Amino acid sequence: MATVDPALLPNLVAPWSEWERRATRGRRLLEAGTYALTEGAIAAGCRVFAGYPITPATDIAEYMSKRLPQVGGYYMQAEDELAGMHMCAGASLGGLKAMTATSGPGYTLMHDAYGWALTNEIPLVVVDAMRVGPISGITGAPGQGEFYVARYCTHGGNFETIVLSPSSVQEAFWLTIDAFNLSERFRTPVTILTDQVVSDMWEDLFVPDSTEPLDFVVPRALNLSMPFYPVGSAALDVPPNVIGHGTGVCVSAYTHTEEGYDIEEMEAQWAQTYRLVNKIRHHRAELSRYETLGLGDAEVIAVAYGANARTVKTGVLEARRRGVRAGFIRLITLWPFLDSLFERDARYVVCELNYDGQLVREVMRAAPDKRNVHFMGKSAELHTVAEVATALEGVARSGRVPELPFIWTEV
Amino acid sequence: MNKLAAKYLRPSQIPTKACHGCGIGMIENWLLQAIDELGFDQDDVVFGTGIGCVGRQTFATWGGDNFGATHGRALAVATGLKLAQPDKKYLIVVGDGDAASIGTSHLIHAARRNLGVTVICEDNMGYESTGGQFSPTTPSGYVTNSSPYGMVEPPFDPCDVVKAAGATFVAETTATQWHQTVKIVKKALQNDGFSFVHVRFPCNENFGAYALGTRDTLKNLEWIYEHTQGRKADGSPADFTWETGIKHDASNSRPEFSKLLRDLNERVRADLAAKAAATTAKSSS
Repeated sequence: MATVDPALLPNLVAPWSEWERRATRGRRLLEAGTYALTEGAIAAGCRVFAGYPITPATDIAEYMSKRLPQVGGYYMQAEDELAGMHMCAGASLGGLKAMTATSGPGYTLMHDAYGWALTNEIPLVVVDAMRVGPISGITGAPGQGEFYVARYCTHGGNFETIVLSPSSVQEAFWLTIDAFNLSERFRTPVTILTDQVVSDMWEDLFVPDSTEPLDFVVPRALNLSMPFYPVGSAALDVPPNVIGHGTGVCVSAYTHTEEGYDIEEMEAQWAQTYRLVNKIRHHRAELSRYETLGLGDAEVIAVAYGANARTVKTGVLEARRRGVRAGFIRLITLWPFLDSLFERDARYVVCELNYDGQLVREVMRAAPDKRNVHFMGKSAELHTVAEVATALEGVARSGRVPELPFIWTEV
Repeated sequence: MNKLAAKYLRPSQIPTKACHGCGIGMIENWLLQAIDELGFDQDDVVFGTGIGCVGRQTFATWGGDNFGATHGRALAVATGLKLAQPDKKYLIVVGDGDAASIGTSHLIHAARRNLGVTVICEDNMGYESTGGQFSPTTPSGYVTNSSPYGMVEPPFDPCDVVKAAGATFVAETTATQWHQTVKIVKKALQNDGFSFVHVRFPCNENFGAYALGTRDTLKNLEWIYEHTQGRKADGSPADFTWETGIKHDASNSRPEFSKLLRDLNERVRADLAAKAAATTAKSSS
């Protein structure tokens, strides 16, 4: 008789585990990740998209150009990604929810706008469909090279960022709504760090009917009075500022006062930083999204995110079949980093799609003993189930990832 | 405080941090005259700036809604804003760095789209807030702190660029032409499309001191005046001449950008509704 081992039931901690039960009327489709990202944005109330075509995010722009006019929204094809994200910031400042989508080369260009939107607390969503690099790399192959870039997405320091990563087409849909909600509540740009595989692959997708009231969508509110910038406060749910309602709000690149005009004083710098850092740091629990499996008895835990978390998860199940007490952590919130997930004194095998090792460094920092954190880097191709199972077996039995072709273990 | 400043500006930001003798405050006063003569209130106008002398000294001086974009991107921000708030007048006050160098691609494409904004390019012929380096509008041969042997590059005229790109109103004036500038800005603000007004003004501290050898405001203004006349005070010909005045006026001759997008929406939604009605009729017959 077949039995289900409760230890092997995935445990998903994300708001959409509940949303899925509430939204029942809709269409079941076979669709691409880019379609899910687009429909998720529209369901979240996004009415402006401005971007520049780039593989593998172009399909989002194309879907948006078709869908937005149908729902009273606006598609703009910008002259470059710098313009694209600034246009989105402008539209959001005018009161419309906005999104842009790109890949690594465009994401780098957006850092100028990212900093501007971040310091001015402008809600918007940026999708980065990562491909392998550096620079143009291989346009049709997946990568995970922007883990740190997304955290430090602009210069100057003194800020925290919110970065989420989906691993399926369906999750891309819900997570996009979540990203919009968080951007409204935290008044900050949110990055969806996806990859070429999740963007391009076609999967089962449920999209709720547009007539279905999605009461979990956070509507745009307008801040019509002072203070425009609650500097020195970590408060959430402060309505975003709006230009065009005659409030006298000032929005700029400078360190600002509560009114928004530029000021060159230590007190102002301190108060602004307190706001930008602590509105996120002080609300980590509300930003915590992840999936775990088999942690009950695990001595070796595979860690991954995005597309390759799928093969890594199957690799964990295969390792358990081989008798290894293996567990699995899939990060959905990449930033702020969920340190508390790594408190357990176990061995960690961090699987990511780059050879240099990025996520692994954060796990080393968060885990009790960094000597028990192993790296399994691969580039341009997902980890195979066999590779993951073999690596977990090797770590469980001999304390190291065995030599495997095209796998990098040195950090 | 003068009457216009009291009516339109933010008292905490006046006077600006501009250097002694800078032309920025004077030109802003002229912009206020144009706004006042057209009968606009604070709430009718959104004031956008960039980075550099012009961005920093004018940002937040406007008493209504303001934005100061990153360097060069004021027009990209304005493009998004205009969609969300199409009924406002947008006064985008930027320098030669913002308009003619780091943000030129946005300038060109805003002109091409006929975005409904009025760009006032206040040109002090160099990067003066960083200490006086040459810019794409510094006249050839002139000495700046990054062209100690004279600038070797040829400059360009931003009016030619935006006209070629499709701007519907293009004009050039200088800080020596008060009434003409007010008249031109009024016309620019009445174009429901992309208007570009190029205004040269003196910088005493850098361009004046290094290129012209004087920090005297009047001498620097006189140098600008000579180059609008084509001859010096002593009657000898100037080394070059700027042609000022309205260079291109096709105001309200083609649809404004945000209107194009709104019209597209209406067309797409009308088609959708017609299709839905046809499907309903078919299924009920």
